[in-house]
Amino acid sequence: MNQGVIYTETIVHSAPEQFVSEAPYQLVIVVFDDDGGRLTARVAGSERVVIGDRVEFDHDRDGIRFYRKSVPR
Amino acid sequence: MGLPWHCYPKSDMRPVAVIGIGKTSFGAFADRDLRSLAVEAGNLCLASANVKPSQVEAFYLGNFAGPSFVGQNHLAPYVAGAMGITGVPATRFEAACASSGSAFYHAAMAVAAGIHDVVLISGVEKMTSQSTPRVAEILAGAGDSMGEVRAGATFPALFAMIARRHMHEYGTRREHLAAVAVKNHANGAKNPQAHMRKIISMEQALNGKPIADPLTVFDCSLVSDGAAAVLIAPLERAAEFTSKPVRILGISQVSDHVALDAKQDITTFAAVRTAGEKAYKMAGVTAADIDLAEIHDCFTIAEIVATEDLGFAKKGDGGPFAAEGHTSLTGSKPVNTSGGLKSKGHPVGATGVGQICDLVLQIRGEAGERQIAKHNIGLAQNLGGSGATAVVTILGGAQ
Repeated sequence: MNQGVIYTETIVHSAPEQFVSEAPYQLVIVVFDDDGGRLTARVAGSERVVIGDRVEFDHDRDGIRFYRKSVPR
Repeated sequence: MGLPWHCYPKSDMRPVAVIGIGKTSFGAFADRDLRSLAVEAGNLCLASANVKPSQVEAFYLGNFAGPSFVGQNHLAPYVAGAMGITGVPATRFEAACASSGSAFYHAAMAVAAGIHDVVLISGVEKMTSQSTPRVAEILAGAGDSMGEVRAGATFPALFAMIARRHMHEYGTRREHLAAVAVKNHANGAKNPQAHMRKIISMEQALNGKPIADPLTVFDCSLVSDGAAAVLIAPLERAAEFTSKPVRILGISQVSDHVALDAKQDITTFAAVRTAGEKAYKMAGVTAADIDLAEIHDCFTIAEIVATEDLGFAKKGDGGPFAAEGHTSLTGSKPVNTSGGLKSKGHPVGATGVGQICDLVLQIRGEAGERQIAKHNIGLAQNLGGSGATAVVTILGGAQ
């Protein structure tokens, strides 16, 4: 669950009560390289991703996994 | 097309007909409580078929979140008792936005199986007494609370992700989504019971306040109060109650995973596809035979995807299909002649039965200003969550 590809994404402007202070934030579904599993996650910081972008795990906060765009090697 | 009764799941099941309908207006009613809305719709329905409360043999109630919205549980006998219906099975069905579709399905099966004759099915939701963030939180209870919801998903966000993927795979555009909103508002403006009877322009629809990209406020259905009710009975007894029975030709309820990220392909609702196939088979009809449909447009993208899943448009073509006018009142396949959830309103638990009421009005030729010319066979599609429950019903008139 450390590396994968963006399957879909949205930028949430109208957030649920507990996340209002973080809006707008980007919500994504990541497809993982290792087992093809999927997870609904967040994008770290203010960077934005699009469908097909490669991402890697950044950090976890209260069970929410944050990803960032992979830097090409 | 012959009578399709032999296609009921068991050969000895009885044909079932809708014999009465009743509906409150949908809207924001500060002075109304849940029970008074449900009682109003139920009483209108009983009166329409000249049925007394004592003749009702079972009561099925669709409601998503009465306990959260208004703090009342045990809702089915609570509503039934207020209508003077006691001494019978009274049960609440919860399947998110498909709650009353599910209640209708189970009631129809009970009558078809010969367990009951005269059955009342209602749907009700009282939503507007809560703040918008609280409404969003309650609605999010229809998603996976340990997964997508914990990560920050709202229902607009889930359907926005469906829209993004549909756009990516099939070239669907913002203009296609907006065309659905413009069309449904045009229809709703002709519906005296609609929540928002307002025509909107393409320009307005494209420039709405962003909710979850690419969806704007004009892509989202309304938060509404309201109730709807229908009475059903075996077809052989229908003439006792009405001169215009509407037959249930086919009906199916199908489930899928609750979490959006548990579905392999989010550009389709697998449960809608399967429920549609089963309902078509039971009715002995195909998509081409459907004269009109009430589709669950909780978001504009949901109507586009469902028209594909039900075979009205080819996979991926749902956007252009709407934008070219095929689903308008005068198109080849009118969709949401009532205004849909977008304009008529979406009191969640009332929506499934509300769709049946609107189809019945069209099939009987009683839809007033929005009446369409060819109206013998109608389809209703009710969706729960991001597709974990789907109910598809096909109704037929006299011809």
